[in-house]
Amino acid sequence: MLKKYHRPIGIDGKLLNIVYYEENNKRVSIPFDPANTDYQAYLEWVADGNTPEEADEA
Amino acid sequence: MSVAINGTDGITYNDGSLQPSAPVGKNLIINGDMMIDQRNAAASATSNTSVYMVDRFEFQMSSVTNVQTYQQVTDAPAGFNKSLKITNNSTTQSTAAGVLCTPRQKIEGFNTAHLNWGTANAQTVTVSFWVKASVTGTYPVALTNDDFTRSFVTNYTVSVANTWEKKTVTITGDTSGTWTIDNSTGINVMFSLDTGSTYQTTADSWQAGNYRGTSSDVHFLANASATWQITGVQLEANTTATPFENLMYSQQLALCQRYYYIPAQGVNSEINVGWYYNSTWLSSAIDMPVPMRVKPTLTDTTGSSYYTMYRNNTADALDSLTLENSNNNHTCVSIYNNSDVSGTGGQAGILRTTNALAKLELDSEL
Repeated sequence: MLKKYHRPIGIDGKLLNIVYYEENNKRVSIPFDPANTDYQAYLEWVADGNTPEEADEA
Repeated sequence: MSVAINGTDGITYNDGSLQPSAPVGKNLIINGDMMIDQRNAAASATSNTSVYMVDRFEFQMSSVTNVQTYQQVTDAPAGFNKSLKITNNSTTQSTAAGVLCTPRQKIEGFNTAHLNWGTANAQTVTVSFWVKASVTGTYPVALTNDDFTRSFVTNYTVSVANTWEKKTVTITGDTSGTWTIDNSTGINVMFSLDTGSTYQTTADSWQAGNYRGTSSDVHFLANASATWQITGVQLEANTTATPFENLMYSQQLALCQRYYYIPAQGVNSEINVGWYYNSTWLSSAIDMPVPMRVKPTLTDTTGSSYYTMYRNNTADALDSLTLENSNNNHTCVSIYNNSDVSGTGGQAGILRTTNALAKLELDSEL
């Protein structure tokens, strides 16, 4: 199943430096850290032409 | 290896060096005795895609259709109490070219830097372990670098079925290639159970490329209900194997928590103090027991009222939590919810898990 990433908005109204996706009753939140392997997978997903959805609710 | 113990000065090793005590940290494998199982707590689990089993040991699977069962079990050779057991499905699978069925541990580059691999000063390493398998024959041990452009494959033999045997392989350090020495993977240590032809090579020499086994190795997936167990895994800078390095449980748990940590799970497990930034934004924070390798991924199991904020004589139920931010030394993350709660800005309380299935996980694995 393809992951569907969301990028939420923080308390200051700006986009947080995280993305999350949901599957199997789990929410997986990924920080923007180049050495985080989940973030590396997210960057590959973006490189394939995908864009995360903005989410104002978590 | 021989030593002379001098009660006044310490221990003299056979290379003439004098040290005040036995070396600590010689084993570059973390959780080699399979004692730590944070994810499954000794429960059986199944998968046919890549997954972490006991702490630090990943089961890498590619093109595997047969579901594999993995579990921390109490069957172990003398001197150990736990082992990792993998059981093949009762059906069989032929080995396509791209099959990878590989229990492995990725050692962080900071911990392998002293081996000087990729230079003329590369040190020899010895891998030792106990294995018990239902299928006799040769199995591979492989070491690769982070980007899988350098590989060394060597074989060990399971001589007697369903019997614990100790195995030792010695591998000359690689003087070529790029071996990372930071917080990415320094060395992949792999114990493949089945390997497609794409990943097979000649044994006992360094190769350029991504290899895990040889054409003569056992095909685990082709043996219905086959089992393979391992414990006592040690990788040390040495030309021979020395006794397994036993660590205090708390030391080993802390080493594992650099890569994976469960802050809270189950009913009534405290997460931390929570507070309302405003009427609909609840924040909290999680402190980690040790600095994690990188800013960790937060996974929370979600469901109706899995988490509760107790404040001002009121219980606010919420279904999920999301990562908000992390500090730069990887010791703290902040979390929030702005979809389920309604409170009063400025009020604080205690945030708890309130369902048996509730679980927060922080993951910074390699």
